[in-house]
Amino acid sequence: MKSKSVLRHNSITNGSRRDGNAAGEALRTNPHGIPDYRLEVPDVRTVEEWVDGQFRYNIEGDLSAEPPPLRESKYLNKQASIEIYRYMLLNRKMEQALENLFKQQKVVGGVYLGLGQEGCSCASAYALQEGDWIGPMIRNQGALLVRGFKPRDVMMQYMAKADGPTGGRDAGSHFGDKHKHHIAAPISMLGDLIPVLAGVALGARLQGKNIACLTWVGDGGQSTGPTYEGFNFAAVQKLGVILIVENNLWAYSTPVDRQVACKDLADRAIGYGVPGFIVDGTDPNQVYDVTREAAQRAYSGQGATLVEAKMMRMRGHAMHDAAAYVPKPYFEYWKKRDPITRMEKYLLKKGWLTDKQNRDLLDSVEKEIEQDREIADASPFPEAHLAGERVFCDDSTQIPFLYGKPKVKRVETKKVGAASDAAHFR
Amino acid sequence: MAAVTYLEAIREGIWEEMERDPAVFCIGEDIGVYGGAFKVTEGFIHHFGSERVIDTPIAEAAIVSAAFGSSLTGMRPVAEFQFMDFISCAHNQIINMVAKANYRWNAPAPLVLRGPSGGGVSGGPFHSQNPETYYAHTPGLKVICPATARDAKGLIKAAIRDNNPCLFFEHKFLYRRIKEELPSEDYTVEIGKARTHREGRDLSVITYAAMVYVAQEAADILAKDGIELEIIDLRTIAPLDKEAIANTVKKTNRVIILHEDTKTGGIAGEVAALINELAFDDLDAPITRIASLDTPVPFSPPLEKFFLPKVEDVVREARRLRAY
Repeated sequence: MKSKSVLRHNSITNGSRRDGNAAGEALRTNPHGIPDYRLEVPDVRTVEEWVDGQFRYNIEGDLSAEPPPLRESKYLNKQASIEIYRYMLLNRKMEQALENLFKQQKVVGGVYLGLGQEGCSCASAYALQEGDWIGPMIRNQGALLVRGFKPRDVMMQYMAKADGPTGGRDAGSHFGDKHKHHIAAPISMLGDLIPVLAGVALGARLQGKNIACLTWVGDGGQSTGPTYEGFNFAAVQKLGVILIVENNLWAYSTPVDRQVACKDLADRAIGYGVPGFIVDGTDPNQVYDVTREAAQRAYSGQGATLVEAKMMRMRGHAMHDAAAYVPKPYFEYWKKRDPITRMEKYLLKKGWLTDKQNRDLLDSVEKEIEQDREIADASPFPEAHLAGERVFCDDSTQIPFLYGKPKVKRVETKKVGAASDAAHFR
Repeated sequence: MAAVTYLEAIREGIWEEMERDPAVFCIGEDIGVYGGAFKVTEGFIHHFGSERVIDTPIAEAAIVSAAFGSSLTGMRPVAEFQFMDFISCAHNQIINMVAKANYRWNAPAPLVLRGPSGGGVSGGPFHSQNPETYYAHTPGLKVICPATARDAKGLIKAAIRDNNPCLFFEHKFLYRRIKEELPSEDYTVEIGKARTHREGRDLSVITYAAMVYVAQEAADILAKDGIELEIIDLRTIAPLDKEAIANTVKKTNRVIILHEDTKTGGIAGEVAALINELAFDDLDAPITRIASLDTPVPFSPPLEKFFLPKVEDVVREARRLRAY
């Protein structure tokens, strides 16, 4: 006995229009006027089924389309495109190495992968400038590499080693750096970096500089209260927060249809009163261009931007999760849209990369990963007694302004006056 | 030098720090043109501008997080909760994002989270609470609860200058009820040091915030019978001043721990455990706790009066311990 019900909304479509290709074609907009940079709008739905008394998800719609080529970037030149491609490769190869380390039981705890999302993490981070900040989530390990951390840093974090960025105090991608790389360390609670990045932008503005603060949240994470509180605050204060909602269709085992009732998460930009955009998260050119333009708005004081990047989480939530709840056709459809394969084809077709150069690039990435794996493996565990240190920051530590001393309005020094009597309670 | 209220002392402290250090700014709900629900920041926006006195949406999680984010760039934000009851709306941000930052990734968080706490004004269950002990339990936070105008000013200035997240629990009952002359020069009060509010030889009351005055009234009554109460004002409940706690027990050998927070899981339990560890042999009577009932803070005056610790509770328990 088989019964079927369609979840209320489509997983990855917003309408019926379909286009196969045509890089550089005019932008479409979604039904609410949100610009949509994608070159295809797949018509696919998640459905619920009962099969032999078992509940499961299935997929409905036309999945036969071949992926379009990448959209032409308005900004990226050959060198920049190849650099992004290299970071994407580094991201993937690093995560493959992490998977092997996990299987060798050299990783403490779980491993979280960004498979299929490398184009979004790397291209968006690449669109920033030096003084800008990022707030990465677990699937944005590629962004950590773009901002200057090494694969060894990420590996040592997963292996709980003394030389890792947190010295074994926290796991995985839970690390950051204020001074050099400008990365706010995430916590496990989702959406919480959004108001933090708003605060970073606020601090920079008080010091006289409008910066871009890029952070990501999933279709799952955007359900949290701090997401709304933080992004609304950024919108109201016109702070240069770029929020990329990585709609990868699954939040652990929950399909996006069970997170939100709206068809496109980018529609929420209208409610926040900020510009919103939809991009194909597996197209690094689209991601780069929209992030770069968002950063430009941030620098000129125009405030926040919301981007929805549509893509697919190609593995389970973490290594232990086989993602058996995901209908197989989803993987087949999105495997054809692998961002690295798409970028590789794009570069080869454009003549920006020869087969030989491509092989050399891959070799150099693999060599770097192998070197870093050895360094990470050789690092010792932290000395146990360090567990008790650094709860507080010493008073003698100088905490500098990152962007210079705030320019305070010259006001005459005067005494604070007495407070009036109109108190809430007496 | 005119005497100033507890509230005015806090105003002076923040104002002076903002004039002294361009890193300091205020952020919170209705703190700008309105000057805050209790007028702590009244007039600040005219003097310092809306860039440094920032009215926010009603979003405590965003306020704390934005304060933290700005501190990453070197700012020293002073964030106001309209009532400290609303600190629960930012609990996750405080205990996970802020308190652990220096430990996890070497990111000091020099921010102050302040606001009115405490009962006695018929504020009801959501405008009267004493949520300080939730945060005293969290490593990485400093929790400050001043009882006098002098301490309120000195401690808010110390908190602003501190490199760590400081939670500053003002007591709204004290805002306009106590007054004293303050030193004219710039001064701070060290965080983590208790103060002897009243010297005595017979029995110690270890307390903080508004309960200092309940202990004081009890001490006046007991003095007529020749019983001398020593009152220790903790001033900060994280870190606790272990030395001061041990010293007073060694001196009087009898101790009451008094607080307005509810009893179960209140800081009195922690202080009692410290006394066991540090001065057990000096005790001549059981450690006694006096605290609010283990109920929400009730609204109606007779209910709230019944809920809160009273002078007669302290007098009764002091006599019992004296005779023990």
